[in-house]
Amino acid sequence: MKECYLGVDIGSISTKGVIIDNDNNIIAEKYIWTEASPVEAVRKLIKNLKEKLPKNYVLKGIGTTGSARKLIGLLLNANVVKNEITAHAVGTVTFYPDVRTILEIGGQDSKIILIKNGIITNYAMNTLCAAGTGAFLSSQAKRLGLDVKDFGEYALKSNNPVKIAARCTVFAESDLVHKAQAGYEKKDIIAGLCKSVVMNYLNNVGKGKKIVSPIIFQGGVSKNKGVVKYFEEILGSKVIVPENSHLMGAIGIAVLARKNKTGKTYSLELENIEFHTKGFECHQCANNCELLKIYKDHKVVDSWGSKCGKY
Amino acid sequence: MNKVGIPRGIFYYYYKDIWTNFFDALDIPYIISPKTNKKIMKLGLKGANDEMCLSMKVYLGHALYLKDKCDCLLVPRIANFKCHNQMCTNFLALYDIVNNELAMPILNYNIDLEKHKSLKEGLFNIGIKFNKSKKEIKKAYKYALKEYSAIKKEEIENNLKKLSTNKLKILIVSHPYNTYDEMIGADIIKYLEDNDVTIIYSDKFNSKIVSKLSYKYSKDLYFKYNKDNIGALKYVEDKIDGVIFLSSFPCGPDSITNELVMRQINIPYLNLIIDDTSGFNGLETRLESFIDMLGDKHE
Repeated sequence: MKECYLGVDIGSISTKGVIIDNDNNIIAEKYIWTEASPVEAVRKLIKNLKEKLPKNYVLKGIGTTGSARKLIGLLLNANVVKNEITAHAVGTVTFYPDVRTILEIGGQDSKIILIKNGIITNYAMNTLCAAGTGAFLSSQAKRLGLDVKDFGEYALKSNNPVKIAARCTVFAESDLVHKAQAGYEKKDIIAGLCKSVVMNYLNNVGKGKKIVSPIIFQGGVSKNKGVVKYFEEILGSKVIVPENSHLMGAIGIAVLARKNKTGKTYSLELENIEFHTKGFECHQCANNCELLKIYKDHKVVDSWGSKCGKY
Repeated sequence: MNKVGIPRGIFYYYYKDIWTNFFDALDIPYIISPKTNKKIMKLGLKGANDEMCLSMKVYLGHALYLKDKCDCLLVPRIANFKCHNQMCTNFLALYDIVNNELAMPILNYNIDLEKHKSLKEGLFNIGIKFNKSKKEIKKAYKYALKEYSAIKKEEIENNLKKLSTNKLKILIVSHPYNTYDEMIGADIIKYLEDNDVTIIYSDKFNSKIVSKLSYKYSKDLYFKYNKDNIGALKYVEDKIDGVIFLSSFPCGPDSITNELVMRQINIPYLNLIIDDTSGFNGLETRLESFIDMLGDKHE
């Protein structure tokens, strides 16, 4: 029997899962939409991965990352639950040991991670505002009547990207409408959008950070060739997009699951596990905490959101 | 006027030990609003306009909470501490804002050192309003100042002592009205403490020393509280593992000062801007990864 490890990255938009072996080879992978119900998405994901996994493997570790990592960590009994910055860095360093800069743009977050000798030396994340992330691009795609997947191809066709305000999504959107009504071609508008994502990223997240090559670009938006092109143009150096760029977080957390393995064997059987959450507001003091209780097989396994620690 | 109401926000965090000891010594009854909770926050959000920062909204919430629980509210008007040491212009207007919003008696004094209006003079006038004799007031003022200095001295000593530990050390560059507020900084402090981080606070330093150090970052700054904050950073920059800049949204002085400093320091930093959004998830991700990173480097 060979050992393998599962990594699940549950993002706001998409849920990613990989199973790796001891030599970091990917045995099974799956990428699906989260559609605002992480538990359902993970059930679907695990079912799919289970079918893909050859019979001679035994699961020795599970790691979860992404914004729903805590919830899914409870569902899967994960041995590692870690934030996506650490997971992305570990995943990338596994494949590119000499990487210096990781650019990452996901569904609602964007981040920059600086690495030296395989250790994170600095990083930044978008603050309050989700301008210039994947969610922005997909909503603009809808407005233009296109699939966001085709954005890259369109952008590459343009030689004359229109100028779109990069600072704020709301301004960018009104800019976009003006440009469309003024009669600019779709490809030029899309190219302008891609460029504005890059400018926004460098101004908001990348400000004051020294971007040194090798530069790796990952997260869902890295699949957009237009954005890659403008990153290279503006940074003046090559930007590598790994084939598995969208899975890097999941791979990283799988590697961490292996490093922290407990010797226990894990199962992918989820069908018979009852799992639900219940949200309520506590009125016992003036804080009115929003609480969330998590039930697994009709038992409370955890509850979050309490300020006083009563729950 | 019988009972004084002290809103637990902004100036409270700078003057609480002077005010309470002064009132105690003169036997003037007072009430301090409780720690910020959702109810107070809601009151503040309702009363505030959209240009105010979260800290001001909280302050207004405290003032509104106290409205029918006291006879007058203590709201000073602080303009400056001599040249190049200005108050945030929004806070300067605090007296007028509260006055407009609440229509109740306000116990007010000015600190405007450029016009020679000092805390001492302000407190004397307050004492006289309560029919206390000059001798009593003088004694109370002296007592309050002595107590305040002792507390402050101990705070500074404790803060500096922490620099000698071998644990992970993080400096929080933040105004005390944000750091210690139950709805703004408390969750962050608790998270850091739970993860065994030694927290050094930028507001617990000797202002006379650190204010001057801020010139090493910029000679043009004129916001008193911000100068103290970043001076503290300069003071400990090579003794700590990382910095967390914590500010409330939208803070003008912080956005210019912190931005300026971020580009000049060589240690990792985390920039957190807090608004009235209730979720802690986004913050937790940032804090966890920051501690992870510093931990790896620390080893």
